[in-house]
Amino acid sequence: MPAPLPTYDRPQRWDAAFDPQVTDAEVSRLLSVPPFSGMRPENFPTRLSLRDILKHDTRIQRYRRGEIVVRAGDHGTSAFLVMSGQVRAVLGPELPPSLLGRREPTRKGIFRVIAQLWANPKEPESFKTSQLKQDARIGARQNQGEEVKIFLQDVPRILDEHKTALLEPGEFFGETAALSRMPRTTSLFAESEEAELLEIRWQGLRDLMKYDEALRKHIDEIYRERALSSALHEIPMFRHLSDEALQQVMARTEFGTYGDYDWSGDYKRLVQSAAGGQRRMEPVIAAEGDYPNGVILIKAGFARVSQKFGNGDRTLNYLGAGQVYGFQEIVHNWRRPNAVVPLQYTLRVIGYTHVIVIPTAVMETVVLPRVPKKDLPRLLSPAEDQETTRPIDAGAKIGADMLEFLTENRFFNGTATMVINLDRCTRCDDCVRACAAAHDDNPRFLRHGPISDRLMVANACMHCVDPVCMIGCPTGAIHRDAFGGQVVINPATCIGCKACFNNCPYDAIRMVEIRDQTGAFLVDKEMKPILKATKCDLCVEQLGGPACQRACPHGALVRINLNDLDAFANWLKR
Amino acid sequence: MKEQLPSPEFNSGQYERPNQNWICGKAAEGKPCRIGSDAKGRCRATCECQPALELKEGENKGRYRCTRTADYGGSCGIGPRPDGTCSRPIPKCVPVRGLHAKRKLFTISVVAFTAGLLLVGLGGPFRSRFITPGKLSAQHATETFARLAGTTGDGCAACHRYAHSGPGGLLTAALAAVPGPFQFRALATAGPPAMTSLDQNCQHCHVGHSFHQPNVVREHSCSACHEEHRGPGPMAAPTDANCLSCHANASALQASYEKGKTLPPEEFDYRPAQGRVLFKTPRPAHGYTKVFRSFATDHPEFQVLADRLKDPDTLKFNHALHLTSPNIQPLPGRKLECRNCHKSDAAGVLHLKITYEEHCKSCHSLQFDAHNPDLRIPHGNADHVRDFLRSLPEQYADYGARVKGLTGRRELDDFVQQQMRQLGEQIASGEELERRVFFSDARTGPVGKVAGLGALGPSLFPGCAYCHQVAAAEQGAPAVVRPVIADRWLVRGGFDHSKHFKVDCVRCHDAVHSRETSDVLLPAKATCVECHSPQGGVASNCSECHSYHTPRKETAVAAQ
Amino acid sequence: MISFVKQRGIGLSFLILVSALLVWLHRRYSGAMPRLSYLTGWALFGLILLLSLYNARKKLPFVPLLSSELWLQSHIYAGLLTAALFAVHISYKLPTGWFEGILAWLYVMVMLSGFFGLVVSRAIPKRLTTRGGEVLFERIPSIRRQLQERAEALALTSLSQVKSSTVADFYARELKDFFEGSRNVGLHLLEVRSPLNRLLNKITDLNRYLNEQERATLDQIAGLVRQKDGLDYHYALQLLLKVWLFMHIPLTYSLLLFTLAHIVLVFAFSGGAR
Repeated sequence: MPAPLPTYDRPQRWDAAFDPQVTDAEVSRLLSVPPFSGMRPENFPTRLSLRDILKHDTRIQRYRRGEIVVRAGDHGTSAFLVMSGQVRAVLGPELPPSLLGRREPTRKGIFRVIAQLWANPKEPESFKTSQLKQDARIGARQNQGEEVKIFLQDVPRILDEHKTALLEPGEFFGETAALSRMPRTTSLFAESEEAELLEIRWQGLRDLMKYDEALRKHIDEIYRERALSSALHEIPMFRHLSDEALQQVMARTEFGTYGDYDWSGDYKRLVQSAAGGQRRMEPVIAAEGDYPNGVILIKAGFARVSQKFGNGDRTLNYLGAGQVYGFQEIVHNWRRPNAVVPLQYTLRVIGYTHVIVIPTAVMETVVLPRVPKKDLPRLLSPAEDQETTRPIDAGAKIGADMLEFLTENRFFNGTATMVINLDRCTRCDDCVRACAAAHDDNPRFLRHGPISDRLMVANACMHCVDPVCMIGCPTGAIHRDAFGGQVVINPATCIGCKACFNNCPYDAIRMVEIRDQTGAFLVDKEMKPILKATKCDLCVEQLGGPACQRACPHGALVRINLNDLDAFANWLKR
Repeated sequence: MKEQLPSPEFNSGQYERPNQNWICGKAAEGKPCRIGSDAKGRCRATCECQPALELKEGENKGRYRCTRTADYGGSCGIGPRPDGTCSRPIPKCVPVRGLHAKRKLFTISVVAFTAGLLLVGLGGPFRSRFITPGKLSAQHATETFARLAGTTGDGCAACHRYAHSGPGGLLTAALAAVPGPFQFRALATAGPPAMTSLDQNCQHCHVGHSFHQPNVVREHSCSACHEEHRGPGPMAAPTDANCLSCHANASALQASYEKGKTLPPEEFDYRPAQGRVLFKTPRPAHGYTKVFRSFATDHPEFQVLADRLKDPDTLKFNHALHLTSPNIQPLPGRKLECRNCHKSDAAGVLHLKITYEEHCKSCHSLQFDAHNPDLRIPHGNADHVRDFLRSLPEQYADYGARVKGLTGRRELDDFVQQQMRQLGEQIASGEELERRVFFSDARTGPVGKVAGLGALGPSLFPGCAYCHQVAAAEQGAPAVVRPVIADRWLVRGGFDHSKHFKVDCVRCHDAVHSRETSDVLLPAKATCVECHSPQGGVASNCSECHSYHTPRKETAVAAQ
Repeated sequence: MISFVKQRGIGLSFLILVSALLVWLHRRYSGAMPRLSYLTGWALFGLILLLSLYNARKKLPFVPLLSSELWLQSHIYAGLLTAALFAVHISYKLPTGWFEGILAWLYVMVMLSGFFGLVVSRAIPKRLTTRGGEVLFERIPSIRRQLQERAEALALTSLSQVKSSTVADFYARELKDFFEGSRNVGLHLLEVRSPLNRLLNKITDLNRYLNEQERATLDQIAGLVRQKDGLDYHYALQLLLKVWLFMHIPLTYSLLLFTLAHIVLVFAFSGGAR
């Protein structure tokens, strides 16, 4: 008798509070302070009251002088409001990477690369003291019950050498990054002896924006000013627009953030429950059969494109940053106003999605007349319109099962996903050995992972487009390499707090107990072994790219960018 | 596939380290200790934690606290001992090698074993039997050979000078080889190889190899054709490919041709007669330097036939008559056969010479007197014939006494006179008789029966000129040209009649149709090819008939 | 990336063409070049050295020396090519004599083990994937131990729960040995399912003598039996995938040693003669 399907309640808005210890008294205090004091609670619905939002989606963070609040390049999902004290934003030149906990990117020369043959340490996870040295200009402190905070030792010097801006109480920062999941553009640190910041996570910010006009306008302005224009400039179809036309478009463009839950904890549990069911729980952004209201441009996160087939939905594709939805239908309607078509596919959120919407009217009047005919998509044929006449694999680049597998497990996030073809893999472990040889004889991935049909996605860092692991690192140890974009952990500054380890939904990060050259475990003052987070770094220090891919004798292993289904489909067809 | 088994669960928080040589011995039980083995395979297990000393305010000694991590069970209930050591020691294990390390070890042992095998094989008592690529031919395999060659032991050094050297010696010898190991161009150079040191060693016993033909332009080493170490028994004959390395090579033969033109023809006249009469053919224009590929296809026609040479012999003989005439019956009812005259020599290879005494006389006796047919003129010497004819009375007397048995003197005289009278009735005078005996060939002179015998029996004797070439001489007896019957026609190739005993003579030799003495009855090459070809099935290798080694001219002359 | 079929096509056509060329060249020139076997020998030695370089490349995975896939494809087809070159070198005559016999035997064993490895590397992964139960080879002992402990625990709980020892006895008699270590390696290699079927049949037979609770326990034990069998299957096949190299690599070194000795002996004894 098969086991009954485990049920799982739809994740509630506040199953996991941001900070469970926020008290009602603190919330009352917040409500008495601008901008919350100016907000009208009656504008908020009952199930999403202002009080509830403040209680569950915010927390107070206290910083001492020199402590770094956010680092440039970090991924964060929170905005900050200065409650008291002063905060400095470093405008230019940027703080040196070592102050931010990063490591200068160094590629080993050919001799050092070859020397790995004999010079690799004999003990696993062993480090020389020189490898663990941190920049002397920063220090770490941890107050009771709080996270570790990194502080700059010499604040006056920083202020001398870098141009900074001062933020006073009542000022917001970090909203764009929180809403659009872009990396932080500036580093900020506390200047006054004690600074108190309110950290609001993005869901709270979004809901506050929805129901408070002033906040919405404020953030709208900032967003348009800082993020939107550069975003629009990157879109190919807007290349032909004059500046004035672009201004018109910008003025009427809307943006939105969708999704009710975070990547890691909740969705992991979701995936383990009945497959297919959760699709109905994902919020719909635009539905098949509806009138196309505007072109939807995905800026961050992912959305699922599906089509009705039989009694169910068939996932055709997923869209990531930079891809559009609804464009073909709008162009078709613009060219054939007498034979309008509705939206052909349904667009659903996967986890978290941030989009820009350009209304149809703007498209028809301002944009489309200026786009050259050859750049326009082709017209839709009537057959494509009818759901009863569609062939089963119309528009699909890879099989439905595989697509479902990728989408359910959110593997499309990866730009360097390790995919292993189990029909060719002889389990020889050459890949693991190559990885180890390139990392001081320590492998940095596990040759195991979810399997679908003949494909295994191994537990190796996928170097995601949207790296959730980077959210919340207190020391900046995990960062994106400036050159190649690989997500890298700097072992010298990693304090082993397991934030990234817990966040990563793909089991790509593993904590290791480090040793010295003789093999004895390195311990802290309390005799607890020192942990470091480790993961694949795409062999950023080696020559020639990831060693695993190169080492597989049977062409079974590949580091593939799942953002581009074409390359994946080609590899599958081998 | 829904029928697939789900993957078993295991602790995926730890990396799997297949690159490590040593694995904790407890991994097989599922509980590897976190410390692990060291690089040399020694277990380093001590205790499960390192207790931390907690010194609260106001305390002197403080207490030790268990620091075991949550992954391994968290703080243990008992806690450390008062002296600070952990109360939960980890029992030491015996680390095992990983599969890769095992393979490395196995590889090393196999290599060591191989090296040992090589040492024992090459350095031990079985060295020669170990190295030899194949058994030696019968002649070279004996102890006698080894002794004669002046070497000790197994005789390898008779040919291979460095056979008994140690590794250093072998290496030096290898590098000193000509062409050497790294002289690829020399190794690739085509053509029959020149003599190497190995071949020089053959010459210690086998002298005088190198003479093939005077116009040969390049040396040909022994080992190029004679392959040793191909198994016991006699050494195999050289293959066609060996011969064709020159004889199918146009440039080599062209060079030989050029050289041959510069040499006097006598140089080529070196074959020993060995008691036979060789039919000498003049050296052809191309000097035997035609390029060809095989016997059956384009081997040149035998020169005797190719040049349409004729037998210059003066003895008039008609094979066709002798073989087909019903009048010639060696036995009643039987015709004359080849073997009635042509008898094999002792070895069976060739045939005995044709002589008058053995082969012609029984039919062609020189009877001149019809009344006394068994009184015959002696054969062989014209002077003797003349003397005989001029002493007829004595001859008759001798005849009467010996043969007829007349003993009385008067009887004998009567007999003689009677015979002389009868003879005188037939022939006018002694001169006439003499003339008839010498010069009549029954075709030119009066067709008469000199002896007048009947149909069967010994044939008529018209006169010497019937068979021989007779010329008048001014003084003395007429000159009868001595016939020269060649009994070896195929001079440059060997032929063994005894091997062809199954084949009828007329199958190859067209004697039945030969009416002239000048006919050469040597069969054409095409006749041989009927059998000696791939289609015919009989071996057609060069070495069936030819030998590369022809004797030196000096020794050839001496043998003659 | 070219498709596997195309890769195989290129490799095979290269192999056939070059082999045919070698055979033809040998036929044409062996008469005219009496020392051809020296040259073919050097070519064979050079090719074998190149083939054995693959092991060296595997020790340098961090140096970008072309992908291992390309090396393996070259290794396979060049390796198959050595067959033609070997046949040409020995002029199609099997060697007599001890030394050359061992040398030839070593070559043949290396060649055959390599070919066996190729066949096995292509056939077994599909079988593993179809069966499912993907597991890391080094973790198998600990998983086996876990399964054993769980099975034993189940057998014992049934004892304490039901107060009847049927299931426990059955476990002790039929299953204890099965869970002890890796079993049926040979049969798994031959893809024979009878051991599992036999055990499951025995379990089904036992079911009629059990009550509801015991059946539930036995059901779970049956699940464990299936898992253990899948584990054994993986153990057997993954072991084969690793163990064939225990033949191929050591014999290659032996071959190289013998070849070096062969080169020295040949030149020392022949002195360069044909």
